[in-house]
Amino acid sequence: TDGAAAAGGGRPGGISLHDFCGRAGEQLVHFHAMRLRDSLFLWVGAEPALRSLAVAMCSPHDSIPVSTSLLGDASDTTSNSLAQRLARKTKKQIFVSYNLQNTDSSFILHIENRIKEEMMAFPEKF
Amino acid sequence: MAAKPIVTSKQREEVVRGVPTEVVCTAFSNSILVVVTQYGKMGTLVSVDPSTIANDVSKPSLTTKVLLGTDEPLIHVCAKNLVTFVSQEAGNKPVLLAIALKDKSMEGIKALQELIRSCQVW
Repeated sequence: TDGAAAAGGGRPGGISLHDFCGRAGEQLVHFHAMRLRDSLFLWVGAEPALRSLAVAMCSPHDSIPVSTSLLGDASDTTSNSLAQRLARKTKKQIFVSYNLQNTDSSFILHIENRIKEEMMAFPEKF
Repeated sequence: MAAKPIVTSKQREEVVRGVPTEVVCTAFSNSILVVVTQYGKMGTLVSVDPSTIANDVSKPSLTTKVLLGTDEPLIHVCAKNLVTFVSQEAGNKPVLLAIALKDKSMEGIKALQELIRSCQVW
């Protein structure tokens, strides 16, 4: 594996990089997580393109985290909703770049569960 | 499942003119993500795009757009100074830049350019 990913695990306060993958249905899905101070950047894809980006964070005025689309097709709300759900779980500012064709809710649930599983296994990476 | 990264990242941590600084560069097939932070956070997110309307045949001009954060003139100047060379060297790819700087002096920016260069993934 890439040395850069390992290098990210050093100082607890610094930016940490973490790559993992998983299978959702027939598809092999790659994840690239970058943990910053009180925030997380998470890229999800099958090939290494960055086509969409959304950010979400918890709001004191609403139980649903606020989110906005930053890059890509604004009508594709998958990055948005995934960022919202992860923001609610982690209470952090979450950037999500979701780059898969499949946006079925059951498929995305697989993706979300894979992320949560990795968060449980390596909490220091998120 | 084992993690064979599909995207390449390089990171550096260094004290630049007295300020602890972190840089992370990540190569995607269609763009380069550059994070330069002196606060540990993403800060302002700027999209730096080689514009399609070429005003010069040899060098496409770069368009900067603040996607998140305070849209002030200095951010655009810093962004262009920091990552123009990244975009050019990557074959005119767009760069997504996250900057959170304490030191925005010209000398500081110069030093940060070198730090970004040391994280070359393009």
